[in-house]
Amino acid sequence: MATLPRTRPRNRRLVSRNTVAGWSFILPNFVGFAVLTLLPVVVLFYVAFTNWNVFGVAEWTGTANFRRMWGDASFWTALRNTVYYTVFHIPLTLAASLGLALLLNRKLRGVRFFRTVAFFPYITSIVAIAIVWNQLFSPEYGPINALLGAVGVDNPPGWTASSTWSMPAVIIVGTWRYMGYYMLLFLAGLQTIPAQLYEAAETDGATPWQRFVHVTLPGLRHTTFFVTVLLTIESFKVFDLILVMTGGGPGQSTLVLSQYIYQKGFEENQFGYASAVSVVLFAICFSITIIQFMVNKRRNS
Amino acid sequence: MKRAISVAISAATALTLVLAGCGGEDEPVDPNAPVKITLAGWSLASTPEFKTLADGFTASHPNVTVELKEYAPGNDYDTQMITDLAAGTAPDVYVMKNLKNFYTYQSGGQLLDVSDATSGLGSSPTLASYQVDGKAYAVPYRQDSWVLFYNKDLFAKAKVAPPDGSWTWDDYTDAAKRLHTGLKGAGSNASGAYQHTFQSTVQGFALAQTPNADLLSGDFGYLKPYYERSLDLQAAGAQPTLGTAKTNKLTYQAQFGKQQSAMLLMGTWYVATLLNQRQSGDADKFQWGIAPAPQFDKSTTGTSATPVTFGDPTGLGINPKISKSKTAAAKAFLQYAAGPDAGKALAGIGITPAQVTDAVTATLFGLDGVPQDDLSKFAYAKHTIKPENPVSKHTAGLQNLLNETHSAILSDSKGVDAELSKAQARAKNEVLNQ
Repeated sequence: MATLPRTRPRNRRLVSRNTVAGWSFILPNFVGFAVLTLLPVVVLFYVAFTNWNVFGVAEWTGTANFRRMWGDASFWTALRNTVYYTVFHIPLTLAASLGLALLLNRKLRGVRFFRTVAFFPYITSIVAIAIVWNQLFSPEYGPINALLGAVGVDNPPGWTASSTWSMPAVIIVGTWRYMGYYMLLFLAGLQTIPAQLYEAAETDGATPWQRFVHVTLPGLRHTTFFVTVLLTIESFKVFDLILVMTGGGPGQSTLVLSQYIYQKGFEENQFGYASAVSVVLFAICFSITIIQFMVNKRRNS
Repeated sequence: MKRAISVAISAATALTLVLAGCGGEDEPVDPNAPVKITLAGWSLASTPEFKTLADGFTASHPNVTVELKEYAPGNDYDTQMITDLAAGTAPDVYVMKNLKNFYTYQSGGQLLDVSDATSGLGSSPTLASYQVDGKAYAVPYRQDSWVLFYNKDLFAKAKVAPPDGSWTWDDYTDAAKRLHTGLKGAGSNASGAYQHTFQSTVQGFALAQTPNADLLSGDFGYLKPYYERSLDLQAAGAQPTLGTAKTNKLTYQAQFGKQQSAMLLMGTWYVATLLNQRQSGDADKFQWGIAPAPQFDKSTTGTSATPVTFGDPTGLGINPKISKSKTAAAKAFLQYAAGPDAGKALAGIGITPAQVTDAVTATLFGLDGVPQDDLSKFAYAKHTIKPENPVSKHTAGLQNLLNETHSAILSDSKGVDAELSKAQARAKNEVLNQ
C-alpha cells in the first residue's frame, strides 16, 4: 500500500514524457499533413455541398451536386472507365510483380542488376514515360505495330490513337510502371518465409507448383493483402499517367474520375461540383478498402 | 456578401477617381507623381510583347514604371491567374489570352469597369466582346486571325498552282491531295497539309463561316462538312492523322518551318515565330506566303470580297484590388496598349495588334523575311474576324466537350453523325442546363 502512491506519479510522469517525446517525433510530419492534407480534406466535404466557383461566396446547395451527378453521363463514363482500369490493372500488376519477385528471389548471377532494372520504371519521370510509350504505340510509325506486323497481325490496333485501344494501352503502361515497386514488397515478403518449410515440403515430395501453392502463397498472405489494398487505391485515383498519355481521349475513352474532377474544378472552375465527385471517389475507395479488411479478417480467423 | 461590398466600394472609388481625373485626360491625378503598376505576362524571355508595351508606355508617361510579373505559359496561365486573383495577390493589370475565360473573370468580379479607357478607340467589334451591359471590362491589344500559310517552294516542286485567294474548302482539300501526289512523285515525303491538334483548326472555321452557326445553341450540325473534309484528307494521306500528330507530339512550327508540310492553317502569331526560327535556324529558309483561309462558299472568295475567318482578341483588364492611386495610370496603360502607337510597336516585333491599320501592315511587311506578294498583304490586312469563343457562362463547358468530340471524330470513331449527336446530347444534359 505504501509503495503505490510513489510509483503512480513516476509512472504517470514517464507516460507523459513518452507522449511528449512521441508527439515531438511525429510533429514535423503531422503539421505538414494537417495543413496540406487534413484541413483541405475537411474543407472539401463542406465545399461538396456548395456551388463554390473560386471567386465569390460558396452558397450552400444541399445535395444538388450529388443529384446532378446522378444524371451526368460524363460522370458515369468516368466511373466506368475507372472501374475498367482497376479490374485489369490490379490482377495484372499483382501477377506481374509476384512473378518478377519469384524470379528474382533466386541466387542468380546479376540478380541485383535485374532487380534494379525491374524497379526502374517506377522511378522514371511519368512525363518521359508517356512520351516514349506514345511513340512506341504510334499506329503508323511505332515499333510495337511494326513488330505486330512482322509477326503477321494484319490489322494492328491504333493504341492511344483509337478509342477502343487507348484504355488497354494505358493499362499496359500502368502495369509496367508499377510492377517493380510491388515486386520489391513481394521480395521482402518472400524473405520472411522460413526456409525450413520449403525443405520440409521437399522432403514430403511436393512438386514446385505444390510448394508455391501451399507454402509461398500462404506465407505471402499479409503481403498480398497489403499490396492489393495499395493497388486498389492507386488504381482508383489514377491520374497523372492518363493525363500525360492520352489526356482522357480520344473522346472520353480514357477519362477517369480524378481527371473528371480536375476538369470540372481547375478547367471549368466548378469547385463545388468537383468536390462532390471527389467525395464520391473517396467513398468508393473507403468502402472497398473496408470490404477488403473484412474479408481478410474472416480469412485469418 | 463581404466581397460584394468591397467590390462595390472599389468600383465606386474608381468611378470618383475617374470623374476627378476627367479634366486631366488620361494622365494620373498628379501627373508628376511616380507610380508603379504591375503587369502579368508569360515566358518573358521569349515573349517580347509585354516589355515592348511597358517600354512604349513609359516613354510617353515617364513617371509610371511598369513592372512585369511572370506567369506560366499555356493553359496554366489561367489557372495561376485565377488562383492569384482569388488570393488577392494578382498584378494590377492582367492579360486574358482568349475569350474562353473572360466570363469567369468578369462574372467573378475580377475586372474593373474600364469604359472610360475605351473612349477614343473607335467601335471595333473586338471591343464589343469585352462589353457586358454596356460597360467595358477589358481592352484588346492583340487580334490575331487564322490564315493559310503555304510553302511556295513545295508548291513549285509538286507543280501545283499556289493559292490565289479564290479557294473554298473543296479547293483546299483538292490542292492538298494534289500536293501529296505531286510531292511524292518529286521524291519528297512532305505532306500536302498539316492540321494541328487544336480543335479550332476545324471548329473555329466552321463556327465563323457557316451561316447561322451558333455554339450556344447546342446544335453542332455545322461541324459536319468540315470534319468530313478533314477525315477525307487523313484517309488520303494528304495530312498526318490526329493520332500521328498526338502520339509523336508533332509541332506545327516544325511541320511548316522544317518543310514537312506544304500548307498550314494557323493564327497570324505564327509570323513572328517563323521569323525568329528562321534566324535561329530552327526553321529552314524557304519562300513562303500567306493566303486567306479557305471559305465556306464562293460568296466570300476573291480579292474583291472580304474573307471570313476567326480569332479571339487578347485583352488587358484591371484587377479591382488595385490601389486607388494607381487606377488612372493603369487605365492610361490600357488606352495606350489598345491604341495605334502600341500597334506600330507590336507590329515591329511581328505581333498583330488589335487594330490592323495601313501603318501596321507596312511595318510588319517591312520586317526581314516577310513575303512581299500582294496576296499575303491582302490576307493579313483584310478579313472579317469572328470570335472563336462567344462570351457566355456556357462557353468553357461547351468548348471542353467539343474538344473531346474533336479527338473522337478524328481518331477511328463511330462516324461524324454519331459523335455529333452524342456531343449535342451532352451539351443539353451537362452544360446548357447548368
